[in-house]
This record gives sequence, C-alpha cells and structure tokens, in this order.
Amino acid sequence: MATFNVTPNMNGFRVVHPLDDITEQKCSTEGLGKIRMTRAVRISLGVLRAYLILMTLMLGYHVLDISGLLHKGH
Amino acid sequence: MRVMEQEKTVTTVATGVVVRSAWQRRILTFLMVFGPGLIVMEADNDAGAVSTYMQAGGQYGLHLLWLLVVLLPICYFIQEMVARLGIATGKGHAAMIYERFGKWWGRFSLIDLLAVNFLTLITEFAAISLALSALGISPYISVPVSAIGLTLMVVTGSYLCWERIVIALCLMDVTWFVLAFMVHPHWATVAHNSVVPTMPAGGITSSLVFLVIAIVGTTIAPWQLFFQQSCVAEKRLRFADLKWARLDTLIGAIFTVCVAGAMMLVGNYGFEHKVAFQDPAQLALALGPMAGSFVRNGVLLLMVNAAVLGTTAISLASAWAYGEVQGWEHSLHKKLWEAPGFYATYIACVAAAAALVLIPHVPLQLVIISVQVFAGLILPSAIIFLQLLLNDRELLGERWVNRPWNNYINWTIIVVLFALSLLLAAQVILPNLFTH
Repeated sequence: MATFNVTPNMNGFRVVHPLDDITEQKCSTEGLGKIRMTRAVRISLGVLRAYLILMTLMLGYHVLDISGLLHKGH
Repeated sequence: MRVMEQEKTVTTVATGVVVRSAWQRRILTFLMVFGPGLIVMEADNDAGAVSTYMQAGGQYGLHLLWLLVVLLPICYFIQEMVARLGIATGKGHAAMIYERFGKWWGRFSLIDLLAVNFLTLITEFAAISLALSALGISPYISVPVSAIGLTLMVVTGSYLCWERIVIALCLMDVTWFVLAFMVHPHWATVAHNSVVPTMPAGGITSSLVFLVIAIVGTTIAPWQLFFQQSCVAEKRLRFADLKWARLDTLIGAIFTVCVAGAMMLVGNYGFEHKVAFQDPAQLALALGPMAGSFVRNGVLLLMVNAAVLGTTAISLASAWAYGEVQGWEHSLHKKLWEAPGFYATYIACVAAAAALVLIPHVPLQLVIISVQVFAGLILPSAIIFLQLLLNDRELLGERWVNRPWNNYINWTIIVVLFALSLLLAAQVILPNLFTH
C-alpha cells in the first residue's frame, strides 16, 4: 500500500495532503472486460430495462395525447 | 526529514506538515480530505431545492420536517458508496459504467446525465435572473456576470482554489439558520414535527404525495453520484482517507438537511401569514414588510448562492463525465489549454444555459417538467449501476465491496426510489391518471 499520508517520526507525525502524496495503485478494470453476469446483475439489468420501457411508453402516450391524436374520434 | 522548528507545535516541511500529537494529526488529515462530501450535499440545495423546500413550508407549514430527517441517512448511504467507489478505483462514475457495463449503458447514462444536467442549469440561471430582478438588477446584467464568474472559478488551474471558493459559498448557507431564527418559529413544534410525522389539515391529497416525492427527488439528485466520485478521484483521496471521506459526507448530509429544514421554516412563516406565492422570490418580497428587509434580501441572495453552487457542481459533473468517457484530460489541476475539451464542456454548459434564459418567453415550465422526466430515467439507473459496482468482487476485491447489511439497506433504498421516480414521472407525463 502506497499510503504515506501519516508518518510517525521522533518529533511527531507528518501529514501529507492527498494531492502531494505518492499515487496509489487503485482497483483497475484493465483486462477485466464487462461485469460478470451473475443472477443479481441479470435481474437488476432486466428490471432496469423494463422500467425504461415503461417510462418510454408513458412518454410516447403523453406525446400522442398532447398532439391530439388520441382524441381525434371525439 | 528533520523538523526545522521543533519548538512550534506545527511545522511545515518540504512535503506535508508535521504535528506533535495524534489528535492534531487526525484533525489535520480530516481538514485535508474535507470538501467533496460537503460540496456534493450542499450544492444539492440548489435553486430548485430552495423552491421545493419553501413551497413545502408555505403549503404545509412544519408538517413535512420529519421527511428531511428520514432522508438524511438515505443521502449518506448513497453518497458513502460513491465516495468508497471513487477512492477504490480513482475513476469517475461514467467511466466505470462504460468499462463494466459496456457502451450501450454507458452512452445511455452519459446522454441522460448531460440532458438532465443541462436542463437543470437553465432552471439555476432562471433563479438567478428572478432573484436579482427582485433586487432591481436586470437579467441582462445578472445572468452574463454570473456566467462569467462561474467560468472564472474553474479556470484557475487549481482544484484546491475551486474547492475553497465553493466551501466558502457552502458555508454562507449558515445564513439560512439566521433567517429561520428571525421568523420565530414555534421551536417545540419544530422539534416534535422533526421526529413525529403529523398529518396536515386536509389529510393525504395527491398534491401532498407529489410534494413528498418532489422533496425526495430534490434531496437525492442523479448528478450527485457522478459529481462526488469524480471529485474524490480529482482530489486523489487515498485508501486511508475513506474514514475521513465518510465523515465529510456525513457532516455534509447533516448540514444540508439542517439548511433544508431552515428553508422550510422560512416558508412556514409565509404559511402562518397566509402568503400565496409561486416561487421563493415572490415569497421574499411578500415577507419584506412583515419580517424586515434582512429576511427579504437574505432569501433573494441565498437563492442566488444556491443557484451558483448548483451550477458549478452540475456543470463540473457533466464536464468530468464527458471528459473521462472521451478520454480527454479532465482535471481542474490542468490549465485551460491543457484540458481544452473538459473546460469547453463546462463553459459550453454554463454559457448555453445562461443564453437560453435570456431569450424572452423561454418555456420554463416545459424545462422543469423535462428535468423531472429525465431525472426519473437517470436516478434509478445510476443507483442500480452504483450498487452493482459496489458488489463487483472481481473489480474491488473483498475490501471495498458492500457488506450484507449495506446491501440490505441499499436495495431497500433503491426499490423505494424506483417506485417514487416512477410515480413522479407518471404524474408528470400522465397527469390525467391522478385527477380522477
């Protein structure tokens, strides 16, 4: 771990600002590709798609409604 | 390294600061980490939020104070995940969605974020125009001057310079507490209604339900997820900083909820005096003769402050997200010419929103409705991606992923937010469903 923000020495503790500190090796996506399709991921993305389709249908209905196309017969 | 002046308690050395005691070390480390949590929370008290909270006070008095207390832990849990993901990966939310969920979801999230952010910016400038017009300043002066000021804030080439300015603006919101004291609310009722939900006169109406949903939507905004993660990455917070980032986020959440409560108390003053108003500027003008010019001018100027805070944070959320997805330099540490695409995105967002507000008869109502619809699309999806990323063991390992109790709380929050977003969008898109 490359965290040297707090370094005890004989006279006290040195506190380094994050912007001045040594860069850490972060968790990287390199070589990982897309997320693994576990059951939780599949269900979550499925629910999200269904939600977005529902919202799109409502928007479509609203556009037709305000354009007067749904009330032409009346 | 040798400490040069040992007799002093705190001594600056070439890299960092040396302090003598452990508690000084903790305080100083916290102060160095402090910022993104407070800013993301307080910038969420933007012009739209001022309007919503004051409307809640103006229509229902002190009855909805409890809702803010309920929203406090929800805000904290969501933003804590964002801070943790930012510290663990050092990358923004948009980049993570692109890399782990593919281009389709990445583009969907980015386009939706940019759209909702831009529409929100128009409402921020509309609020600046409205508030300063009430103080006698023409929109043709106030809006361009604000846009120029907002641009100058970010082009210094220093993240810390921007952060210090914005923290100062956040702290100016303490004035809301002064205003709340000046309108003399009944403090026992304030305390009671903050912890005990009470029913307003008239019971549960569709207007009450949708105001509740609007408050939830205002308190948890989609840009916050993108903003804080990019901000944490920009500040290069280290693994060891997580506990301080959590404290920063918690302080930000508490401060923001208290400020929102103060806004409700000021709105409640209008409720008690039967003042009818459409926006906070109208309320401020009406309160002037009753509560004094300090309250009137205070509300108007704090409305401008809220809009400025919202604008800089939202524009940066867009510029960071777009820059990181495009692979451009996207950092406030860079000079204007070193990150031209990033700064151009920020400036374009600010300038276009300001210019649109100056067009006579711009359909603001349509803009507000579109904000709600786009936010209804982006918030649940951004939170789902956040939750899935925080369970991505392949990416984060055991150290950073959610614990089971985290997941239990977060999935509950997500289900509630999905339902509320759907209900709000349905009410906006299909209002006829709710009038029969």
